[in-house]
Amino acid sequence: MQHVADMNLANLSIVRSEPARPAIEVANLSHIYAGRDGDVPALTDISLAVGAGRFVVIVGPSGCGKTSLLMMMAGLRHQTSGTIDIQGRPIDKPDPDRVGVVFQEASLFPWLSALDNIEFPLALRHAPRAERRKRATDMLNLVGLQGFGARYPHELSGGMKQRVSIARGLVQDPPVLLMDEPFAALDEQTRMTMGHELLRIWSQTAKTVVFVTHSLTEAVYLADEVLVMSARPGRIIDRIAVTLPRPRTYEMMATDVFGRLRDRIWQQIRKEG
Amino acid sequence: MTRFQLIAIRLLLLALMLAAWETLPRNGVINPMLLPPLGDVLAMLVQILGRAQVHEAILVTAAEVIVAFVIAVPLGAAIGVIIAEYDYVGQIFKPLLFYVFSVPKSIFLPMFILIMGIGFQQKVAYAAFSTVFVVIMSATAAVESVKADHVLVARSYGATRMQILTRVYVPSMMPILLETLRISMIFNFTGVMIAEMYASRTGIGHLISNWGENFQLPQLFAGVILLAAVAITFNETVRFLESRCSTWRT
Repeated sequence: MQHVADMNLANLSIVRSEPARPAIEVANLSHIYAGRDGDVPALTDISLAVGAGRFVVIVGPSGCGKTSLLMMMAGLRHQTSGTIDIQGRPIDKPDPDRVGVVFQEASLFPWLSALDNIEFPLALRHAPRAERRKRATDMLNLVGLQGFGARYPHELSGGMKQRVSIARGLVQDPPVLLMDEPFAALDEQTRMTMGHELLRIWSQTAKTVVFVTHSLTEAVYLADEVLVMSARPGRIIDRIAVTLPRPRTYEMMATDVFGRLRDRIWQQIRKEG
Repeated sequence: MTRFQLIAIRLLLLALMLAAWETLPRNGVINPMLLPPLGDVLAMLVQILGRAQVHEAILVTAAEVIVAFVIAVPLGAAIGVIIAEYDYVGQIFKPLLFYVFSVPKSIFLPMFILIMGIGFQQKVAYAAFSTVFVVIMSATAAVESVKADHVLVARSYGATRMQILTRVYVPSMMPILLETLRISMIFNFTGVMIAEMYASRTGIGHLISNWGENFQLPQLFAGVILLAAVAITFNETVRFLESRCSTWRT
């Protein structure tokens, strides 16, 4: 049932640098939550490994638990059973040194300027002011928002807000970046641009990224590997290695390889529908 | 319409009203016994502001308003936050509070007098009582206006409970809290005035009520102008603060 195209699980930890263990390792994770009519299984026996520096995308039907899984990797929720190791250690509470999170809506604080929003994680740990400014300004430049630091969220477009949000996720330089449908609220054009921008930022920072999305095109365009989840209770029903070369270009979307990969994911999800 | 024009028209309207207040009673269009001309009222205002009896009344009323406010706002805010944060408590007390909130507080005034007499404490207790419910309701709304997403973001960056309170809850609630301050002062001031006018030995409300009964209309209107000036000044000051953080009110 679990296809592994082009490479097998053991090879997933092959990376640019060479750490002994994968950046993220989920083993036999299950989650049951107490619903009104008794226990509801939400996630069933999920195991996956993400090598350092890799870009993994999780897709699946609505309500399959992919966001829950991501929140567990961030230490924001607890699973019923199974383990999650990030950088070789279990994660049982949020740890900004290891994991940065980018949320669905930009979730910026409307009372803080763009720069202050990016500084927020550093301010929480009382980093010296000058250092905070410098680091946040670097991140602002990295995401292509030079000169917009003083703007407030309501003065920024949807795409710009998500750039700020990504900058905030990267400001503490965590090795792992978790992204929960970050571009879902954007229009198609902005979304494509942001996907491309994200790949540029990723290639400059060498982060390990886990990215949850509904968009199959986005999944294939961004990913080294796509994990397909089933409807609830969520299981991983397919693992698809995307062999398209990097850097990715918009032209690749028109190729047969791209179409076949996209179609294969769609077939898997449709079976679940 | 430009902002300048708008302000010009407002000022013109105000000037017209004041001019009418001055001229109509003087020309006998309006009975000056019922509406004394503005000039007479302002002259009376200056005169009464020189009286020791009025000084004392202003001090008493100010003390009552401030003490009632200082009791009602923190108390109401604390109750409101508890109700909003603890679902269980909220489910028990919310309906009860809504019922009491809907009842006009002035009908309880005779009870306050029976229990506490007509002194300072009774004014403060009644005003605080008539204010606390609106503070509870607003504080509950303020807590509920805090977005779960924002709390989640703060948690994901390792914020402590204290940091979530000071860096997420407080700024999120600030616009509604300021509005609450403003509205609760209106309730509070009204409470003190009603209590003073109903039964009292001193205070501005007591003086206004007396002047009315004795048909001393210039004094009555002078008192009205004095109170209106104080109330409007407080209200506009808080409103100015509110407008400064209106941008993050989404």
